[in-house]
Amino acid sequence: MSSAQFKSNVNEYLEGLPETVHSRLYRSPATCLAIYRLIPPMAKFYIMSMVFNEKPVLLRDLDKWIKPHGRRHQVESLKRIRALHIVKDEHNGLVLSLNPIFRTSFRNALTGGETNNAFGVACDTEDNHQVDLPFLDTYAANKWETILHYMVGTELNELPSDGVLQLLKHAGLMEGRAGAMSITKEGFQFLLQDVNAQIWTLLLQYLRVAESLQMDPVDVLNFIFMLGSLELGRDYSLSALSETQIKMLEDLRDYGLVYQRKSTSRRFYPTRLATTLTSESMAMKTPAAAMKEALKEEDAEPDKVNILSSTADGSVIIETNFKLYAYTTSPLLIAILNLFVHLKTRFANMICGQLTRESVRHALYNGITAEQIILFLENHAHPRMRRLGEEKLNKRLEFDRNNNIKPAAGAAMDEYRLEILPPTVVDQIKLWQLEMDRIQTWDGYCFSDFSNVQEFELLNAYAEEIGVLLWSDKNKKKFFITKEGRQQVVEYANRKLRKKR
Amino acid sequence: MSRREGSRQNYSELANGNDYDSDSENTSTFSDDNVDADLGDAYIPRANLTVASASRKRKAKTTVGEIKTHLQDDEFEEEALVDISLERPPDFVPDAVTKMFGASDFSYLKLKPDHASRPIWISPKDGRIILESFSPLAEQAQDFLVTIAEPISRPSHIHEYRITAYSLYAAVSVGLETDDIISVLSRLSKVPVAPSILNFIKSATISYGKVKLVLKHNRYFVESPQADILQMLLKDPIIGPLRISSETVTSDGLVETRAPHADDIEIAGVKHSETAKNGEKKETVEEKEVEDIFASVVGDKDDEDDDLDVVHSFEVSSDSVEIIKKRCQDIDYPVLEEYDCRNDTRNPDLNIDLKPSTQIRPYQEKSLSKMFGNGRARSGIIVLPCGAGKTLVGITAACTVKKSVIVLCTSSVSVMQWRQQFLQWCTIQPENVAVFTSENKEMFSCDAGLVVSTYSMVANTRNRSHDSQKVMDFLTSREWGLIILDEVHVVPAAMFRRVVTTIAAHAKLGLTATLVREDDKIGDLNFLIGPKLYEANWMDLAQKGHIANVQCAEVWCPMTAEFYQEYLNQTARKRMLLYIMNPTKFQACQFLIHYHEKRGDKIIVFSDNVYALQEYALKLGKPFIYGSTPQQERMNILQNFQYNDQVSTIFLSKVGDTSIDLPEATCLIQISSHYGSRRQEAQRLGRILRAKRRNDEGFNAFFYSLVSKDTQEMYYSTKRQAFLVDQGYAFKVITHLHGMENLPDLAYASARERRELLQEVLLKNEEAAGIEAGDDADNFVGRGNTDVSVKRAKSSASRNAGSLASLAGGEDMAYIQYSKNKNKDLKQHNSVIQKLYYKGKKK
Repeated sequence: MSSAQFKSNVNEYLEGLPETVHSRLYRSPATCLAIYRLIPPMAKFYIMSMVFNEKPVLLRDLDKWIKPHGRRHQVESLKRIRALHIVKDEHNGLVLSLNPIFRTSFRNALTGGETNNAFGVACDTEDNHQVDLPFLDTYAANKWETILHYMVGTELNELPSDGVLQLLKHAGLMEGRAGAMSITKEGFQFLLQDVNAQIWTLLLQYLRVAESLQMDPVDVLNFIFMLGSLELGRDYSLSALSETQIKMLEDLRDYGLVYQRKSTSRRFYPTRLATTLTSESMAMKTPAAAMKEALKEEDAEPDKVNILSSTADGSVIIETNFKLYAYTTSPLLIAILNLFVHLKTRFANMICGQLTRESVRHALYNGITAEQIILFLENHAHPRMRRLGEEKLNKRLEFDRNNNIKPAAGAAMDEYRLEILPPTVVDQIKLWQLEMDRIQTWDGYCFSDFSNVQEFELLNAYAEEIGVLLWSDKNKKKFFITKEGRQQVVEYANRKLRKKR
Repeated sequence: MSRREGSRQNYSELANGNDYDSDSENTSTFSDDNVDADLGDAYIPRANLTVASASRKRKAKTTVGEIKTHLQDDEFEEEALVDISLERPPDFVPDAVTKMFGASDFSYLKLKPDHASRPIWISPKDGRIILESFSPLAEQAQDFLVTIAEPISRPSHIHEYRITAYSLYAAVSVGLETDDIISVLSRLSKVPVAPSILNFIKSATISYGKVKLVLKHNRYFVESPQADILQMLLKDPIIGPLRISSETVTSDGLVETRAPHADDIEIAGVKHSETAKNGEKKETVEEKEVEDIFASVVGDKDDEDDDLDVVHSFEVSSDSVEIIKKRCQDIDYPVLEEYDCRNDTRNPDLNIDLKPSTQIRPYQEKSLSKMFGNGRARSGIIVLPCGAGKTLVGITAACTVKKSVIVLCTSSVSVMQWRQQFLQWCTIQPENVAVFTSENKEMFSCDAGLVVSTYSMVANTRNRSHDSQKVMDFLTSREWGLIILDEVHVVPAAMFRRVVTTIAAHAKLGLTATLVREDDKIGDLNFLIGPKLYEANWMDLAQKGHIANVQCAEVWCPMTAEFYQEYLNQTARKRMLLYIMNPTKFQACQFLIHYHEKRGDKIIVFSDNVYALQEYALKLGKPFIYGSTPQQERMNILQNFQYNDQVSTIFLSKVGDTSIDLPEATCLIQISSHYGSRRQEAQRLGRILRAKRRNDEGFNAFFYSLVSKDTQEMYYSTKRQAFLVDQGYAFKVITHLHGMENLPDLAYASARERRELLQEVLLKNEEAAGIEAGDDADNFVGRGNTDVSVKRAKSSASRNAGSLASLAGGEDMAYIQYSKNKNKDLKQHNSVIQKLYYKGKKK
C-alpha cells in the first residue's frame, strides 16, 4: 500500500519535469526501462504496441482495444504517458505518436543494441577484496537502520553522516539543530512505510537538493535509474560515470545503496536496496525484518545474549480484545509501535500494549493511515497469528466444500482471503479512520439545467464511465464531477450534443 | 517491620510518590490501595527456597515431573534472584524507548536462559501475569493460575491474569501453601519473580487459611497445621475461655490428628479407581491425564511429609461458633469452614447418587475437585459459562455430600427446572424432593431430603401465610449439609446475609456464569459464601464443543434525520426511547429476523424496554413475553417456540435474561439493553450457548446487538461487550446490512411512516423509556408474589398537551389500528397449539 502510494510520488515528480528534461532523460535506455516499469499496465501495453510501429496510432483505434468497463484505466493511463511526454497528440488530438527519443532508447534497452554503458560498466578485473551477497545485505541493512534508529532517537555508536542529516531535515522528517534533532509528524509516517518507499522519499528529496546545488537532475535521475537495473553482487567500474554521478556515489554510500570499500576505490557494488528500486516485486524486507537479521549477526557473538527466539518474520500478536503483545527488543520496532499503540509494560523480550481509540486517532492525526497500520501489523504478525488464520480459512474451505457452498463469483477472492489479524480489529481500525473524515470535500463542477433526461443520462453515464462522477440526482437532473474530469466531460458533451443538433 | 520501613522509601519514590500506608496490618481489608502498599515493601528472598522445595518435590507426579524435565536446573536462578530489588538495578541503562513505559519498563529483569520453555511473565508492579497459551506447559500453568489469580482476559494467544488478595485467599482455601505458590510461580516464570510479588504473596497468605473450623462427629473443632497459631488463639481473651477440654490432649493442650487425605472422598460420578490407595492413584491420575498441577503439588506433600501432616485442634462448643468466627475475622485470621460430611453422623444421610448413565465433563470434575479437594466439603463459588452445565455441578456436589440439600434459585421457572434436573440425573426419589414456592409448599417427610426454592421465598421478612411460615420453620429448624445458591451474582448482599444466617448449612456452593457487577458488590460474596473455587475458560469450552460457537456482531443503525434532530433536543430518558425506536433499527431487526428465519434459525429478540418490546412484536406479529405475562401464557409461548415450526421468533424482556432454558434458540437479537451492564450481555449470550445443534459441523450461533449510531448506545455497547471480549469473543461491526432496502414489506420505508412513528414516540411520556421494573433477575423480589409491573405497562395512556390541530391529524398524527397481538393468536387460531395447550391443561 505504502509503496504504491509512494510510487505515485516518483511519478508526480517525473510528470512535473519540463519536456526538455524528459527528452534528455530519455536518451538513457536504462532510464526508459525504469520509467516503463513505473507506469500502469495498460500504459505499458500501449507503449509496447507502439514501440516497433513507426506510424502514429489513431486515438479511435486505441478505444477499440479496450472493453467499456476498462475505460477508466485507459483514461488514467493515457493521462500518465502524456504527462511524461512519452506520447504526443498530433493532428488536433486525433492521432497519438510515440516520442522518437524514447522510442530509440527503449528499443535499445529491449534489444541491447548500440549503446554500451547504459547499464553500467562491469569491472573486468578481479576484485582483491571481493564481497559476497550476505555481506552486502548486512551492510545495506546496517546503513539504513542507522538512519531509522537515529530518527527514533536510539543511542548509536555511529551517527549518520551530515549529508543524511541535512537531507532528513530538508525532507521535513526531522527538525531542530544538528545534534538535537527530533522527529516530526511526517517522520513518523515515514517510519511506517516499507524500505523501498522510504528510500524513494529520500531520493526525491535528494533530487530537489541536488537541483539547488547546480547538479544536473538528468544526471542524477539517470544514475538512480541505472542503479535499479544493475545486477546484485557484481562490481561496477566508476569509469562510465560522470563527475556528478561520482559525487553522488558518496551520498548513496551513506544510505547503504551502494558499497564502496574506500572513497578512492575505482569500483562499487550496488546493494539490494538499489537493485530493487524500480522493481515491482516486494523483494525488499521491511525495516524490522532487516533489523532482525542485523541483530542476528550480533547474536552470533557469544558474550552478547540477545533474545530473538521467535522467527525473523513476525513478532506481534494482536488479540480480539485489542491487546497487543510484541516479542521484541528492538527500540526501533517499539518506537514504531508507540505511534499507534498505547504501550503499557515492557519485559526483557516482550512488550504489551493496547490498541485504543485514542492511540489510533493519535496516529491518524499524525497522518498515518489505517491501511498503513493494518499492513504494518500484518507484516509483523507472529507466526501463531498466521497459523490461526490459516486454520480458520482451511476449516471454512473444507466446510464449504463439504456442503457445496459456492461463493458468489465476484466475491470469491474476498471470501477466502487469509485473515491474519482478527477481522474485528481490522474493521475497527478502519472505522476509527472513517470516524475522522465523516465530511469529505471535493473541488469540482456541478452540471445542471439539462434540457431533457436523455442528455442528462448520456453525460451522467459518460462521467461515471471515466470515473469522475461524485454525485448525481436523476430527479433533479444534476450531477457533480471532479475538477479534473471537467474538460473531458465538456469535450464529450460538445462532441455528442453538437452532433445531435 | 523495621526492615520494611527501611526499604520502602526507594520504591515510593519510584512510583511517583504514591502515599503508601506502612501499616501492613490492614491487609485484610483487601482494598486495591492495599495491594499496592504491600507491593511497596521490598523483600530479600530466601535464596534456598526454590532449591529446598525442588528437592522436596523430586519424587513428584507426572505433571510436576513434566515441568521439571523442561525446567530442571534451578541453580542459575539463584544468581538472578540475588541482586534483584524493586528499584531498577544501578547498571540498568534506560534506552531511547524506556520513557514510553513510565515505571513499567521491566526489561532489567533478566530472562532465564531457558525462558523459551517457560510460559509466563510476571509484572512486578501490579501482579499481572502474562501467559503464552501456546506454550507446551500452558495447560498446566492455566490450571495453576486460575487457582491463584483472577483471569483478566483469555483470548486465543496470550492470556492475562492478576494476583490479588482475593485470589490468594481462594488459593489458600483450596489447600495451596505460600511456598507452593511461590515455587511453582518461579518455575513457570521466564523472569525471576520480583521480590515485590514474593512479598505480596507472603503477606497475603500468611494469615489466611491457617485456621479452620471443622465440624466432625457433631463437634466443632478449631484446627490448624501450626500449633503456635492455636496457642496464640488460646491466649486470646475472647477465644481462650470458649475452649472445651476433650479427652485426648497432648501436653500443650491441643489434639493431634492426622490430616485428612485428599482422596478420602469420592466425588460422585468420578471414576471409582480414584479412591484406590495412594500408589495406585498416581497411575490412575496418569491414565486420566488429570494435569492438575496444583493438586499434584499438594498431593506430593501428603505423600512424602507424613510427619507434617499432623493437624492440631481444640474443641469449641457449637454455641460459640459465631463468636469465634467474628473474633478471628477481627484479628486477621479468618477461619475457613470445612464440612467433614463423611464423618457427620448426627445428620441423617440422604440416599442420593448420580445415575450410572450420567456423565460429568472434565471441567465439571475439575471444579468439583477444588471443592472436595481434601476430603471435606469447602464453601465457595464455581464460575462456569451459561449452558456449560452448572446445574449438573450442583447436583454432583449434592450427591457427594449425601446430606440434606437446599437449592435456592432466582425464579419459580428455574425452581421447576432444578427439580426436573435432579430427577433426571440422579437417583433421588421424587417423594424426597420438595418444592417451596408461592404455589407449592409441601415438604418431604423422611429424615433427609432435597428442597428447591427461591431466594425471595426464603428471605421474605413480610407477613407470611400460615403454610409458608410452617415451611420456613421447618427449614430453619434443621441442619443442612449443603446449600446451593444458583446465579449468585444477582443476589443483593443483604438478602444473602439473611438467607445464609436463617438456614444452617455446613457447606455453601455458589454457582454463576458472570462474577461481574457494575457496582462493587462482588467482594461481599467472598465472605458470605467463600472464595471463587474455579473459573472456566469460555473459549476452551467452545472449542471442545461443550458450548456453542457464537458469531457476535454489533449492527450500527444510523438514526434517521428526523429522529436525530429530536434526539438532540430531548431529555436523557426521552433520548433513550428515541434511539430504541429508531426506524432504521426496526428495519435492521426485521431484516435479520427475516434472514435467519429463512435459514431455519430459532430467534430470540431481547428488549429491556417494554414499550419497544410491544411495538416491535406487534408490528412484526411475533409473540412476546414480559413481566406481566401470566405464567400460563409464558409456558404456552415457550412451548410453541420449542416445538412449533410456525413460531421461530419470540420477543423477551428482561425476564428472559437468566434461567430460561431454550436449547432450540440459535440466534439472538438485542434491541435495547440495560445501560452498560456487562453481566446482562454475557447472560443473554448464554441463552444461545447451549444450542442443541452446537456440535453440527460448522455450526455457529449468532448474536446481534443493534445500536443506533451516534447516540449514547454506542458508548454503552462498548462497555457491555468488555467482559465477553476479554473472554475472547470478537464483536464484528456491521455498518450496513446488504439487501435490507430490498426486503419486501420493509417497515417504515416511507418518510411519512417514519414521521408518524416519531410523533407517536414523542407523545409517550418518559415512563415508557424506563426499563421494566420489578420482575427481573436483578431485583426479583416481586417474582413469586405479584406482578408489580402490570399496572405500569398497561398505563400507556397518558396525558399530553397538544394542539387541537395535532389531534385532528394536522401534525402528522394519525390514529391507527394497532396490530393484533400474536400472543392471543397463538391461543385461538392455531390448532396444533390448541391441542398442545389443552393437553397441557388436562394434565
